[in-house]
Amino acid sequence: MLQPITAKELEYIADSLSNEDLLMKQNALLAASASNQALRQIGQQMLHTHQQHYQTLMQSFQQHQSMAPTQPQH
Amino acid sequence: MYQQQQQQQPLPDEDLAYTVLSDLKRVVREYATAATESTCPTVRQMFTNLLNSTLKMQGDLFQAMQSQNMYSTASPALRQELDKQIKEYSQTQQKTSQWLQQRLGGSQQGFGSFAPYQHQSHQQHQSNQHQPYYS
Repeated sequence: MLQPITAKELEYIADSLSNEDLLMKQNALLAASASNQALRQIGQQMLHTHQQHYQTLMQSFQQHQSMAPTQPQH
Repeated sequence: MYQQQQQQQPLPDEDLAYTVLSDLKRVVREYATAATESTCPTVRQMFTNLLNSTLKMQGDLFQAMQSQNMYSTASPALRQELDKQIKEYSQTQQKTSQWLQQRLGGSQQGFGSFAPYQHQSHQQHQSNQHQPYYS
């Protein structure tokens, strides 16, 4: 069941998006420039997975958008 | 050959892979924290799924690095250290088992899964001293 997102959850999701963004870039470097074939391959796979993670996190923002109050609540 | 790679690469293979590995380890911890601190069940489930997925990637990368000899594993623990810990924690388990029996009285049968690891007959004798008189 979907509940309005808390301020804490919002922060964790935002931090996670930053993490996934960084890991995408690191894996792109691994996939493109490692001299070892096995590392290039695993970098490619991980890049794909981090892109999916990023999408998942973005979707959770969008899912909660309509329920978020516009006034502070106490 | 090696010289040539050095010029093309931003970092040597080991360093590049290690950077990704340590960030994966950090992100695993952050997803675990985020899951435990989530209120919305949907958000908690999302963080749990991301945790499992990231943990799997970390494990796969570690395996790949180990098979390419890029990761020196810690030296094995000595037999005597292992023996010492088994002895110590068997005693802890025995004491706690007795404590549980005292607290829970006659209902300790349900805690059979927490039977002490070794010295079964010795434990039996000792625990009799602590049995409630009515049992």
